[in-house]
Amino acid sequence: MLDHCSISHKGGLVLWSRSFTPDAAALALSSASPVNSLIREALIEGRTTEEKYEKDGYAVKWTFVNDLELIFVVAYQRILQLTYVDDLLAALKALFVKMFQPFLATFVASLHALNSGKAAVVEAASAFNFADAFDGWDRVFDKLLKNLEEKAAAERKNRLRPAVRPPIEDASPPSEEAETLPTQSPDTPQDEQQISRNVQALKNRLRGRGGKMGRRGSARSDAGSGRESVPNSDSESPAPKRKTKAKVQRKWGDEAPTETDMASLDFSVDSVQESGSSQDLQALVDQASMGTRTRDGMYEVKDWEFSKEEDSAIARALGPAEAEAKTGSLGALGSLFSRLTGLQVCEGVGESLVGKKVGGFQTTNAAVRLALSTSLTRILTPKTSTDLLLSIRTKLSSALPSTQQRMPYSITFVGVNGVGKSTNLSKVCFWLIQNGLRVLIAACDTFRSGAVEQLRVHVRNLGMLGVNGAADSKGRVELYERGYGKDAAGIAREAIAYGRDNDFDVVLIDTAGRMQDNEPLMRALAKLVAVNSPDKIIFVGEALVGNEAVDQLTKFDRALRDFSSASGGGKERGIDGMLVTKWDTVDDKVGAALSMTYVTGQPIIFVGCGQTYTDLRQLRVGNVVQAILAD
Amino acid sequence: MDASRFLFVAGSLVAAILFLAILVFFTRQKSKSRGSSLLLVGPPDGGKTAILSTLVYNQTLPTHTSLQTNASVVAVPALKKSLTVVDIPGHPRIRNQVDEHIGDAKAIAFVVDASTVSRNGAVVAEHLHTILNALTSLPPSQALPALLILAHKSDLVKSGTAASATSESLAINRVKTILERELEKRRISQSGGVAVEGLGEEGERTEMGGLECTGEKGVFNFDTWEGGEVVFLGTSVKVGSGEAEKVDEDGLLSLRQWMEENV
Ligand SMILES: Nc1nc2c(ncn2[C@@H]2O[C@H](COP(=O)(O)OP(=O)(O)OP(=O)(O)O)[C@@H](O)[C@H]2O)c(=O)[nH]1
Ligand SMILES: Nc1nc2c(ncn2[C@@H]2O[C@H](COP(=O)(O)OP(=O)(O)O)[C@@H](O)[C@H]2O)c(=O)[nH]1
Ligand SMILES: [Mg+2]
Ligand SMILES: [Mg+2]
Repeated sequence: MLDHCSISHKGGLVLWSRSFTPDAAALALSSASPVNSLIREALIEGRTTEEKYEKDGYAVKWTFVNDLELIFVVAYQRILQLTYVDDLLAALKALFVKMFQPFLATFVASLHALNSGKAAVVEAASAFNFADAFDGWDRVFDKLLKNLEEKAAAERKNRLRPAVRPPIEDASPPSEEAETLPTQSPDTPQDEQQISRNVQALKNRLRGRGGKMGRRGSARSDAGSGRESVPNSDSESPAPKRKTKAKVQRKWGDEAPTETDMASLDFSVDSVQESGSSQDLQALVDQASMGTRTRDGMYEVKDWEFSKEEDSAIARALGPAEAEAKTGSLGALGSLFSRLTGLQVCEGVGESLVGKKVGGFQTTNAAVRLALSTSLTRILTPKTSTDLLLSIRTKLSSALPSTQQRMPYSITFVGVNGVGKSTNLSKVCFWLIQNGLRVLIAACDTFRSGAVEQLRVHVRNLGMLGVNGAADSKGRVELYERGYGKDAAGIAREAIAYGRDNDFDVVLIDTAGRMQDNEPLMRALAKLVAVNSPDKIIFVGEALVGNEAVDQLTKFDRALRDFSSASGGGKERGIDGMLVTKWDTVDDKVGAALSMTYVTGQPIIFVGCGQTYTDLRQLRVGNVVQAILAD
Repeated sequence: MDASRFLFVAGSLVAAILFLAILVFFTRQKSKSRGSSLLLVGPPDGGKTAILSTLVYNQTLPTHTSLQTNASVVAVPALKKSLTVVDIPGHPRIRNQVDEHIGDAKAIAFVVDASTVSRNGAVVAEHLHTILNALTSLPPSQALPALLILAHKSDLVKSGTAASATSESLAINRVKTILERELEKRRISQSGGVAVEGLGEEGERTEMGGLECTGEKGVFNFDTWEGGEVVFLGTSVKVGSGEAEKVDEDGLLSLRQWMEENV
C-alpha cells in the first residue's frame, strides 16, 4: 500500500528506507523523489501549511524528532486515502527512538563536530556500522505495518457492514502474562500466535480497568459491551495505575523490542471500535511509557508528541516551566510578531523551536530571534536569480540557427488598477536604456483612457534623457501603440514582431489594470500571456495595501496558472516575480513584502520608491530582515 | 560566625576565578582552531553529503536534500591529524550559511555534479560566483582559504570516443569549460552594466565582485583568477557501498591525497 518510507537526519543522511515497488525504488534515488521534493518545497521553501504534501500523484506525510534531528517520511499514492499513516508515523517515531536512542545520539553528535569534543567523535564516527546499527528494525517495521494495515482493512469492512461485528474470542486466561513478558529474552521468536496471545492478555488487563474510566466508557453506549473499548485511553488517571505496575527495566540498544511494545502498538485489537485515531494513539502513549519507566518511576520519555494542537505541543515539549518562559518571551516579542503579517512564518518558527534545548547563555528571546531571523532570511532569499540584466543578456547572446531571427526579451507587467504599472514600467525602461539596451514599449492598456498618452509622455521624456555621455537616447526607446479598444494580446504580438524586425533588445508590455476577481478580464490576460509567452511576467503591487496585495497576487497567479493549463498545449505559467510600488508612502511595509514572497515563492525583483525614473531599488534580504527584527 | 562568613567569601572567590579560567581556556581553544575546516559547498544534489558520509564514516549512506549543515571530524591517517569537514546545504534559500563558516575555513571545495553541469551551467555559475565573491571580500587579515572545485559523479561521465582519457579528467574538463564560459557571461553582463541600487544603501556599490582576472582583457579564466590558485579534482563515490571497498581505491582518492598534502 505504501510506496516509500524513510528515516533520515535533517543533514541529509538517510538512516533507513524502504521502497515497496520497483518504481518507487527507482524514483527514490533521483533528485525528483517525493522525499526530496518534500524537503525542497515544503520544508525549505515553506510552501505548505498543511501536514500533507502532494506531488506527482504522491501524498507525503512526515514528522520530526527535533532533539535527534530526525525526519520520518511516508509516501503513498494519493488516491489510496490511507487512514493509518498518521498512526504509523507516530508509532515509527516512538519505537525507533526507543530502540536506537544511544546510537542515534552519538550519530547526531558526530554531525555537530563544531560544538562537541573532537577526539571522541572522530573515534566513534569511523567505527559506525550503519548496516548493523539498525538490526532488527526491519522486522519491527514489518509487524507494525502489517498490524496497521489489518486494522485498517477490518475497519473498512466494518464500515461496510456495521451490523455484523466479528466476535471476539475470550480464550486466554486473564493472567499476569503481559507484565512478565517484557523480561523475556529478546531472542525469543515472536510468532504470530504469541503476539495474539499478548494482545489478548493486554486486552483482558485493560478490560479489568475499563470500569474505572467513566467518561469514555459510558459515552460509548452504542458499542455494545464494555469489552470492545479495549485499548482505551485512561490518560485522565495515569498516576495511580503506574504506581501499581510492575516496573520494567528500560531497554536500550540493539535488543529487539519486547512483546509488550509490539502488543501495545497492535492497533488491530480494537478493530470493532470506530473511534478516531487519537484514542488509539493515547493508548499507545500509555502502554509505551510503561515500558520505559525505571524502578523509581522518575524517567519519562519526553519527546513523544501525539497532539495535533500546536500550543499544547509546544507546552508539552518544553515542559511547563519552559513553556511559560516561551510564552513570556513571545509576549516580549509581541510587537515583532504582530508585524509579521504572514502568520505561517511564526508557526514555522514555533515548530523549529519545539524540543530544542536553549543553550547555556542564550536567552529564550535571543533563541526565538535567531530562529526568526534564519527563517525570514530563508523565505526572502530568492530561489531563482533576480538578475534581470543577466537573463536578458543570456537570451540575447544565445546561439540561434542562422535561419531564425533573434527574438527580443519580453516582460509583461500585470496588476490591479492604479498600482503603478505604467510608471514603474518606464522606470525599468530607463534602467535598461542606461545599460545600453534598445527598448520597445507596447501600449497594451487599451482600456483606460489616457493610458497610451501617459506612455507617450514617458517615451518622449526617456528619449530626451542622456545615456552614457550621449546628449539623448533617441532611437533607444520607442512606443508601439495601436489606440484603444483593440485586442491587447494581438497588439502585444505585433509589438514583439515589430521589435524583432527592428532589432530591439527588450519589449516591455504594459497591460490594463484589472481586479483579481474579474474573470473575463483575467481570462483575457491569460490569453495575452499564452499567445506571447513573455520571458517574464511581473506582478505589480502596492506596498500601501498590505495584505490586500497578497490576495491580489495569489489570485493573479492562480488565474494565470488555471487558464494556461486549461488551454492545453503549453505548460502552466504563473507570476515570475514581483515589483512592489509606493514603498516611499508607507512606514510598515516589510510585512507585505514578506507575505508576497512567502505565498508565491517568487522573488521581489524591484521596489518602486518615488515618482522619478531613478526611484527603482532592489530589495536586499539582509536589510529587510534587519528592518523587521529591529525595534 | 565570622569564620564561616570568611569561608563563604573565599569559597565563592575561588569558584569565580575557576569559572573565569575555564571560560578563558575554552575561548582560547576556539580561536586556536581558526582556519581549520574544509567546507563543502555547491548546488543541490551535487554530492556534498555523500562525500561527507564517505569521508567520515567510510561508507556512503544514501542521502536526500539537506535541511541543515553537517559538521564532522575526519581523520587524516597519514598525518595523524584530523580535519573538520562542513557540509553546507546547496538550496538557494539556505546556502548563505556558508557565511558563518567561511571565517574558519582552511579550504573550500565547490562540488559540481559533472553529469548535469551542461544543463545547469548558469545556475551553478551563479552559485560559484557568490563563493568567489565571498572569498575575495574576506578581510585581508585572514589567510585566503584554498579553493577546490570537485568535478563530482565522474562515474556518470561517459568517456565517449577517446579511450585514453579517464572519466575523471573528462569530468574536470567539462566542468571547467562550462563554468568558465558561464562566469565570463556574468562578468560581461556586469561590466558596463548599471545595477539597480539596493534599498537603503544609497551610493554604495552592491554588485558582486570576485570575477577579476589578470589575463588579457580580463576574460574570466580560472588560471588567472585574482583570488589565487584553483585546484580541480575529479571525484566520485559509490552510493550504498560499505566498508568492503578499500579506502584508497575509492573515487575520493584525489581528494584524500590533496587533504594529506595541504592540511
Ligand atoms: N553516481 C553517483 N551518484 C552520486 C555520487 N555522489 C552522490 N551521488 C548521488 O547524488 C545524490 C545527491 O547527493 P547529496 O550528497 O545528497 O547532494 P548534496 O550536495 O548534499 O545536496 P544538497 O544537500 O541538496 O545540497 C544522491 O542521490 C547521491 O546518492 C557519485 O559520485 N556518483
Ligand atoms: N509615491 C509613489 N507613487 C507611485 C509609485 N509608483 C507609481 N506611483 C503613482 O501611482 C499612480 C498610478 O500609477 P500608474 O502607473 O498610472 O498605474 P497603472 O494604472 O497601474 O498603470 C501615479 O500617480 C504614479 O505617480 C511609487 O513608487 N511611489
Ligand atoms: Mg497604466
Ligand atoms: Mg546534502
